[in-house]
Amino acid sequence: MLSMLHPLPKLIVCLVWLAASIAVFDPRFQAGIVVLSALAMIVIERRSPLLILALMIPFALFGFGFLTTATLFREESDFATRMAAETPFGSPAFSAGIVLFLRAIACGMVSAVFVLTTEPGRFIKALMANWHLSPRIGYALFSALHLVPDLASEAQQIRLARAMKRGRVPRRLPGPLETASLVVPLLAFAIRRANRAAIAMEARGLGTVSVRTIVGAPRLRPADASFTIVALALLAVLFILTSGVWRAW
Amino acid sequence: MSAAFSVPEAAPAVAWREVAVRYPYAANLAVGPVSLELRKGERLLLLGPSGCGKSTLLGTITGLVPATIPAEITGEIATLGVPAASRSPAEWSASVAQLFQDADQTLCGMTVGDEVAFALENRALPADEIATRVDRALAKAGVPESWRARRTAALSGGERQLVALAAALAQEAALFIADEPTAHLSPDAAARLHAVIGGEGETFLVVDHRLDGLIGTIDRVAVIGRNGALFAEGSPRDIFRARGEVLAAEGIWRPLAADLDRLLCGIGIVLERPPLVLSEIIDGLNRLSPADRTAAGTVIRHFLSDRIAGPTASTRPSCATLVHAACAPLFAKPVLHDISMEIGPGETVAILGRNGAGKSTLGATLAGLLRLKGGTRTGPAGGFAFQRPETQFTEGSVRAELESIVGKDAASIDAILSAWRLENVADQHPFELSQGQKRRLALATLTADTRWPFLVLDEPTAGLDAAASNEIASRIAKIAADGRAVMVITHDMDFALKTCSRGIVLDGGSIAADAPLIDLLRDGELLASAGLNAPELLLLVDWMEAVPC
Repeated sequence: MLSMLHPLPKLIVCLVWLAASIAVFDPRFQAGIVVLSALAMIVIERRSPLLILALMIPFALFGFGFLTTATLFREESDFATRMAAETPFGSPAFSAGIVLFLRAIACGMVSAVFVLTTEPGRFIKALMANWHLSPRIGYALFSALHLVPDLASEAQQIRLARAMKRGRVPRRLPGPLETASLVVPLLAFAIRRANRAAIAMEARGLGTVSVRTIVGAPRLRPADASFTIVALALLAVLFILTSGVWRAW
Repeated sequence: MSAAFSVPEAAPAVAWREVAVRYPYAANLAVGPVSLELRKGERLLLLGPSGCGKSTLLGTITGLVPATIPAEITGEIATLGVPAASRSPAEWSASVAQLFQDADQTLCGMTVGDEVAFALENRALPADEIATRVDRALAKAGVPESWRARRTAALSGGERQLVALAAALAQEAALFIADEPTAHLSPDAAARLHAVIGGEGETFLVVDHRLDGLIGTIDRVAVIGRNGALFAEGSPRDIFRARGEVLAAEGIWRPLAADLDRLLCGIGIVLERPPLVLSEIIDGLNRLSPADRTAAGTVIRHFLSDRIAGPTASTRPSCATLVHAACAPLFAKPVLHDISMEIGPGETVAILGRNGAGKSTLGATLAGLLRLKGGTRTGPAGGFAFQRPETQFTEGSVRAELESIVGKDAASIDAILSAWRLENVADQHPFELSQGQKRRLALATLTADTRWPFLVLDEPTAGLDAAASNEIASRIAKIAADGRAVMVITHDMDFALKTCSRGIVLDGGSIAADAPLIDLLRDGELLASAGLNAPELLLLVDWMEAVPC
């Protein structure tokens, strides 16, 4: 259902959630964002919970760096420790680390919701049709968005070819040495691919007219307004519940 | 709205005058000097061995070379009556549609529907006209409606080529340039392209190696030699009869009928009209005296024996076996179900089927490169020649690539380089080679390695000239004679018939037939349902059986 929404309201909602995640220094708020983002993908988008957990791993590793920095080098994160002094996690330094740790995951999960539910072609068309993004920049961005899955696919092809040369079936996951050895061929692939894409777009007339037709650009529907209202209301409720503002009422 | 350029009536569609192209840091010219004209409404076929600069010459028509691909050009190039350099390559797109040898140079990685509409959007055509043209192009190219929302990167090599064809057709340009358009197309898709080229009105410039089926639609042929210079041009009938020997020596493709005509001329049987297709030869043979027909029969038997692989029966244990296998590409769901087959030592097997039938998946699975989603596979791993040869290259030069297989023995390396005509590029990086040269290098490394009990060659002849194709055919025969098996995935029915004795047809996600190849190719119902066509050569086989001589 999220995949069917117009990409731009969805982008705005995700940016607001990201901004809130950065601005609010409360581990419960960050945890709430992580849970709601994960639920959106599992319940609404029918994604596997295992996939969602796997997605969290790189963000968690990144956040773990903040946690250890805040705990071991507290003088360097003075602002964070002062902000976290009132939280229920014992030592201020540890509390600050937890907030930074959860913030990394929350930002990652909100970004993942957008990326996993937005088809790059629709996104670029929406940017060109609604925000007048230059087609040259738009299609360059489009190629860049597709580069990651295409690099993964090319990496597998190269691994197959090398495995064949060695006479062994490739391992499911490449080891560190194998991964390092893939860097240069993949860089060469990315350059060749960019070159080919540039030729294809040039040969088919990109940039010859100032206003080009955009076929199949997404259109705003009532569902987009409903989504925006519900998403922002959820964020507000989460903030009220975790900040204790409701106690004043 | 971007409009197409109008052509002055008297002006040729394209004119090259003493054109020569040299790439940066290259010692030799990539192509040239060439003086040639393509007339308006004409269908010109450009022939030449791989690496002779045909693609470079095509690139000069819209200025892609040198505007996008840096090169130094001498001479004059006029496209539709004006200097090619007077417009940017993008501005030429309203008048010139280009179908590149590599589908990834035509496609930008969007969904199929968006790809086909892309050039029309860039011309700011009205949305309803774009929709009409996209529908028309998809139908003309035979792209199924169900593909519209699929990303082109998720399609097989042949399917991408088909979409690239639709994208070029949608432009409905005055000049259509196609660089090896049928290299990865199944026979029925290639026939649709030939029908488009045979249509009236437009101007076509085609570079292709698969001539049978195409040659009847061509008005004129121009031939570039290995040195990059134009050495012949004229009507196809005249060129193939008068210059057949030279074309063969240069390793350039000729129609089967032209080759047979050359042999018949050698014994004094000269048909009044130089033939382009075998049916014309058969008409001529039917009018011969019994004595001449007997003499012709001897020649034809020899001709056929060179082009039809003899039967091979393997009685030894199989090299590899699949039982009730579910075969899937990487990170994808199974495309083939309940596959049971085996390949025995010395066998040569052709895997046939329409684009996207799962041929490459079956080959890679049998070679042990893809894990099964169900069923079992037994036997050692096999060698696999990837459809995109770059995938196999890991070294910094052609010579180093071969050394990684056969060691530092200079004599062996030189022999392989010479056999595959790679001696002039031995010190170049593999990625700098032409498509045909890359494929020759990939096959040279694979066939030089004796570790594998069987080889799977995925589209081994795509982009290759006649000499290289013949080299591969003889290598396959030698490998089979040595007791190793070879599986050939191909759309080239003539090559399949020449190299393989057994055929497997894939259709509807399973094996539709597994039998002696010649029997499969005579089963019209099977071929029609699997999107295949019988090779032209079978006409001659049938004639020989019907008319004793």
